[in-house]
Amino acid sequence: MRQRSLVILTSVLTTGALTLTACGSRDSGSKSDSGSTTLTIGVDAPLSGENSTTGLGIQYGVQIAIDDANKNNWVPGVKFKIKALDDKAQPATGQSNATAFTGDSNVVGAVGPLNSGVAQSMQQVFASANMVEISPSNTNPALTQGKDWATTKTRPYKTYFRTATTDALQGAFAADYAYNGLKKKKAFVVDDKQTYGAGLAGIFNSAFKKLGGSIAGTDHVNTGDTDFSSLVTKIKNSGADLLYYGGQYDESEKITKQLKGAGVKIPLFGGDGMFATTYIQTAGKAAEGDLATSVGVPADTLPAAKQFIATYKAKGYKGDYGAYGAYAYDAATAIIKAVKAVKDANGDKLPASSDLRSKVVDAVQKSDFEGISGKVAFDQYGDTTNKQLTVYQVTNGAWKAVKTGTFNGS
Amino acid sequence: MSGIGPVESVDSPEANGSYEVIGGDPPHLTDRWHTLSPRTRRAALAAGAVAALGVGAVLLPPVHTSRQSDPQPPTPWPANITEWRYVGLAQTTDSPTTTGFFRFAVTVDSGPPVTLRVTGAAFDGLTAEAVPEPSFTVHTGATRRVTVEISVSDCSGLPLNADLAFLDVTLRNTRAIQRHSFIFGASYSKDLSQLLHRACSTTNARPGPRPSGSAGSQNVDLG
Repeated sequence: MRQRSLVILTSVLTTGALTLTACGSRDSGSKSDSGSTTLTIGVDAPLSGENSTTGLGIQYGVQIAIDDANKNNWVPGVKFKIKALDDKAQPATGQSNATAFTGDSNVVGAVGPLNSGVAQSMQQVFASANMVEISPSNTNPALTQGKDWATTKTRPYKTYFRTATTDALQGAFAADYAYNGLKKKKAFVVDDKQTYGAGLAGIFNSAFKKLGGSIAGTDHVNTGDTDFSSLVTKIKNSGADLLYYGGQYDESEKITKQLKGAGVKIPLFGGDGMFATTYIQTAGKAAEGDLATSVGVPADTLPAAKQFIATYKAKGYKGDYGAYGAYAYDAATAIIKAVKAVKDANGDKLPASSDLRSKVVDAVQKSDFEGISGKVAFDQYGDTTNKQLTVYQVTNGAWKAVKTGTFNGS
Repeated sequence: MSGIGPVESVDSPEANGSYEVIGGDPPHLTDRWHTLSPRTRRAALAAGAVAALGVGAVLLPPVHTSRQSDPQPPTPWPANITEWRYVGLAQTTDSPTTTGFFRFAVTVDSGPPVTLRVTGAAFDGLTAEAVPEPSFTVHTGATRRVTVEISVSDCSGLPLNADLAFLDVTLRNTRAIQRHSFIFGASYSKDLSQLLHRACSTTNARPGPRPSGSAGSQNVDLG
């Protein structure tokens, strides 16, 4: 009986607390003494362990955008702060983080995640809360165009956007360079069974065959694997002249080392998931000649990105900004500019919290500005209209751009 | 297609290494100043200050404007400001079965004019060239319609149904020379495919297989 009373009392107190919390969420952000409002931008990425090199590049890309917005007073009367949560590249953790963001009334939108498989678990959470989510790195086509993207495109969530282009282009671009540029005719295709890796490898596989190449064999690895000796034997026996890998640098840097160590001197070619300095640092000389496609054009051809890179280095931030840092900066900027647009359209006042979130989603859809990675705008699926890609090759111990391309399907 | 890096800067620091400095004070003026008496110097300084104030009132910008003019935005790299869009097949008569004419719209969004030259169409068995002028210039804000002649020179190794077909282009402005690929959607791929079928369907060119799912679902090619 006493236990039951305690349960009732606890329920009443909890309900009261939630009611108070809900009342508190009517105002947007938190007010400071100076009268300015502070809004939070969430960041979800792997910030420790596997994939964290590129994940940290996302976190600090957003941090620099927020610092610039606050310093230059991009939204008068509104300051921004970052709330970065580590998803450890795990879908379940990403989903918990999404719930934490949407449950915090100060959070106006989120940047991330890094991994397409993690994004799948987060999209519904953001959609239910009408909160914008912009990934600087997700490339799986299904996230924006639905599972039948190859035949019938349907946008699953209107709250999800991305500043990176898709694997539909990346895989085909890689296949073209492998077949026509490198003159490779027989590829062995491996993936890590993840949404991103398996999807990208499948697209490369199809495109390479369609160009006239043949597939010497296919296989899978598990994320976290370190011994690839049986895979190396299969590749060696297949007579392949190229290894294509769909996955992240954590595994591919070990695969290429073991492959070259076994005397199989064929290049390993992968996607943006292995475009990181860590790949070269870990694989050493074995990485020489290996290739990766990545989204966008080289940062040194983007004058606006120079200041970003200088700031990143001057601050001594960890991680690698090379793959997604500029795209994270632009994703955060899209949210900040959307807040300004909503405030301007509302008599220079921020709407109530729940209203602000949904209006920010609509404003992000209308984004149209010059970011540091190029033009920032989104099509009807939430995909970036900036569809540029680059093939990089490890040359003298560094990634060097060997081919750039722009897609215009209109 | 080239394995060489696509970027070549045309305004490297080395290119701008020599500067001619003009407007420095000639030494003989300083020498003359020191020969004047202190009274004459004070009078000259006072007159100079009054004159400077007068000129300043007329020529200097209002106080609220920035003292330093905003830095000019850096010149963009040509591939980042040039847009190619496929328009459709050009109407032609009497063209050989191995040649097609394709129309494109080329726009330069900002920066100085960009000079372009089409250098290829992805495959060794195809040649591509803008006609009538292989090299042409597009000015900022302008859209230029261009016709590209694509000819089939060798059917062996050509896929008859390639997706995401593209043009290889060299772009040049005052910032850099870049080699870049412009990739087009289904409409261009379909029209190019028709040319390839027309030119190669009676030869040994091999059509590509149908696309399929993920890597795990692929059958290994045993042949």
